[in-house]
Amino acid sequence: MQMTGLTLAGVTKSFGAVQVIKGVDLQVPVGAFCVFVGPSGCGKSTLLRMISGLDEVTAGTITIGGQDVTWAEPSARGIAMVFQSYALYPHMTVAQNIGFGLSLARLPKDQIAAKVAHAAALLQMSALLDRKPKQLSGGQRQRVAIGRAIVRDPKVFLFDEPLSNLDASLRAQMRLELTDLHKRIGATMIYVTHDQVEAMTMADQIVVLNAGRIEQVGTPMELYRAPATAFVAGFIGSPRMNLLGGPAATGLGCATYGIRPEHVALSTDEGRWPGVVRHLERLGPDALVYLLADGVGEIVARVEGETPLAPGDRVHASPLAGREHRFDDGGRRMMSIHPA
Amino acid sequence: MAQRQRHSPYPTWFFLPAAMVYGTLFLLPTVASLWFSLTRWDLYTAHFIGLDNFRQFFSEPFLVASVGNTLIYAVLTSGLKTVLGLLLAVLLVSPIIWRGTLRTIVFFPVLVSTIGIGITFTTLMHPTRGAINLGLEVIGIDGPGWLTDPGLALISVALVDVWKGVGLATVIYMAGLVSIPTDYYEASRIDGATRSQQFWRITLPLVWPATITVVTLSLIGGLRYFELIWAMTRGGPGFASDVVASTIYKQYQAGFYGLATAGNVVLFVLIAVIVLPLSLWFNRREVQA
Amino acid sequence: MRQRRSRRPVWVGLAAMAAFLAVFVIPFWFIFLQAMKDRRGAGRLNFAWPESWHFWGNLVEVVQTRDYLLLLAFFNSILITLGAVTLLVIFASMVGFVLSRRRTRLNGVVMALVLAGLMIPPAVVPTIWVLQGLNLFKTLHGMILIQVAYGLSFSILLYRAFIAGIPRELDEAAIIDGARPWQVFLRVILPLLKPVTVTNIVVQSIGIFNDFTNPLYYLPGRENVTVQLTLFNFQSQFSSQYNLLFMNILLITIPPLIVFIFFNRQIVAGMTAGAIKG
Repeated sequence: MQMTGLTLAGVTKSFGAVQVIKGVDLQVPVGAFCVFVGPSGCGKSTLLRMISGLDEVTAGTITIGGQDVTWAEPSARGIAMVFQSYALYPHMTVAQNIGFGLSLARLPKDQIAAKVAHAAALLQMSALLDRKPKQLSGGQRQRVAIGRAIVRDPKVFLFDEPLSNLDASLRAQMRLELTDLHKRIGATMIYVTHDQVEAMTMADQIVVLNAGRIEQVGTPMELYRAPATAFVAGFIGSPRMNLLGGPAATGLGCATYGIRPEHVALSTDEGRWPGVVRHLERLGPDALVYLLADGVGEIVARVEGETPLAPGDRVHASPLAGREHRFDDGGRRMMSIHPA
Repeated sequence: MAQRQRHSPYPTWFFLPAAMVYGTLFLLPTVASLWFSLTRWDLYTAHFIGLDNFRQFFSEPFLVASVGNTLIYAVLTSGLKTVLGLLLAVLLVSPIIWRGTLRTIVFFPVLVSTIGIGITFTTLMHPTRGAINLGLEVIGIDGPGWLTDPGLALISVALVDVWKGVGLATVIYMAGLVSIPTDYYEASRIDGATRSQQFWRITLPLVWPATITVVTLSLIGGLRYFELIWAMTRGGPGFASDVVASTIYKQYQAGFYGLATAGNVVLFVLIAVIVLPLSLWFNRREVQA
Repeated sequence: MRQRRSRRPVWVGLAAMAAFLAVFVIPFWFIFLQAMKDRRGAGRLNFAWPESWHFWGNLVEVVQTRDYLLLLAFFNSILITLGAVTLLVIFASMVGFVLSRRRTRLNGVVMALVLAGLMIPPAVVPTIWVLQGLNLFKTLHGMILIQVAYGLSFSILLYRAFIAGIPRELDEAAIIDGARPWQVFLRVILPLLKPVTVTNIVVQSIGIFNDFTNPLYYLPGRENVTVQLTLFNFQSQFSSQYNLLFMNILLITIPPLIVFIFFNRQIVAGMTAGAIKG
């Protein structure tokens, strides 16, 4: 029997007549860092809460470490959760926060102290054990929340958008720390976010969700190179992939045609699609060129370095070979024309 | 697939202790009163007599008068508390000196024993030896018999009630006033509004939630009121200041339990008939700030 | 022009202070003076300065009246207040917790019943009938439970509103940590309710201590007399001894005064919060 970290089979969730999660099947390998990503309302948080046991499934099974936990109490599933708002108990010290679950389980005080000290050391928080949450910074509070999770020795860690309350620079730093933590502990981690940058940089396995269904599961680069649906194509990758529909796409042999801005080459003399530069965004190391191509529509191209182009210039755009994406009228990937 | 019922983290049995006390000592008597008001009763045996208690209530002149007095009392105290409360609140949120002390002074009577206040003012209102009338004599006014004149007794008690309770209305209004964003006043100053216009067109409408609260609370309180009336006049002189609540007590003392309970039902109906439509009307007129 | 503007607050303040002193403070001043005078002086019912100060003499005489009845009354009143307030805090917070967190149709029913408690006047004689049936009539226990029953509506509304402001995620984190419902309530929620509990205790204490009507109906008799009843009855006892009567009033005013001095802010917050939500 294959030991997976987490398995979801046919998981469905309905609120009355409204089906929010529509039959999700998923296998997460032991020790993987799996990211659930998708737009607001896609159901990623709902799925996480069902895995945690805070919400009940309407149908389907959840298996953690080989055990069916579909109907188990949250504290009996072998999971620990880090909330978006950290949910630290305001009236308890850091040490009491981390050790709360252990004191509920009636562990002897010295054992609790030892476990708390171990978790604190792992997160470089040993000096903060006597402080109350309101005396801590955002990043410190998050570490306490993680410490509380670590001390439970869970089989699966659940993270519910933990970085969205932090400012941009702190977020980048915490991304590194979380990835580092994963390497050190090696536990299975399920991480929910709406930020595809976090997904791409942190995940071993990405699960893209849309309207309660899984669109695609794969490694970051699999999703980047071969998105299975037009939705995934437009969701993963920054800047966003050019997606053309209508007669332009039909002319290119599909219902939706995709090409990433970084895979569009520009030339002043020749190329597949002639057009006019409408707008330029200079970012420093590169620039985004917005051009209106004849018969095709608006295309964004990424150009490296400081380009001499200006709005109004005539320019030719060409897609790089092997980097084109074609999707049928169901949004599904068609066989790509792709030299070996 | 068989679904196991999981226990909610918010169990219904948390309601139980409160429900037991509330149900036995409040709900049960209220429901029982509907039955017992239709009987002649001595607490041990009840003898069904239909609507006789109510007929008696609305035919005997002093009983009917008590209903009228109740309405007068409630409207008078509620009206005065609302108007004075708002004016005092406007005064006490404006930048005047000693504002903090004044707020304390106006609120303190709310916290004092009603009986104590009743005795104090009865003494002060003594027609010949009371300080109020003696003070009026000094400036040449012949002070009335505040509590001895049948036509004045109820109103005198109402005035003391307002004296004691206006602080609460003021505090509620102050909270409401403070929550009005100053942006509105500043915009109206630019538009050239006078202080009076600001009061009528901005303050009054936007303080509406507090007004609803004050009117509703003081109306309910006024309709049910017993303590001060009993302390100052015992419903007298004669029955001139009797209200339904004091009538209930008098009938109870006389052993007419069924009649007393009927009085309770009358009071209940009175409150429901006045306050419920008022609440609905209030909520429909609410202004979204 | 500018000079006028800045002097206005002073003038209005002075005028207001004069008016407030005359209207609100003079009656208390009267109580104080009367309590200090001897029998004859107080009998004149005027604002004359006391010829001699009889504070201690009056105090002792009032306290000793009828075999130290006033002391018994204070004891009873305080006992009732403490007992009722303790139960109110526990019962009402439990209800407020479930009411605020759980979303069921039962909530509508419960809320209607709670609001009814604010409006419907208690049916006094049927209540006596129930109390007698439970052997609680004329007992302190009965009185405590009555005060709890009548105070639940306000307390529940207060707690419900406050708990709505505590993030639900704290409950969820505790559940994941393995807490049972009563543990979530006792160890996570209840400690965070300190501010509103203080407010509730203060507001309810003053109300119950000053209550005259309910002990009048449900606690007649000498053994269980309360402070307000004693004062009321002493009116005939001290028919012409105004100094003693007003000393009694003064003594009764002291506990609320002390609470007011220390908890002014909480009282005001409680009254406005409960009122505006309602």
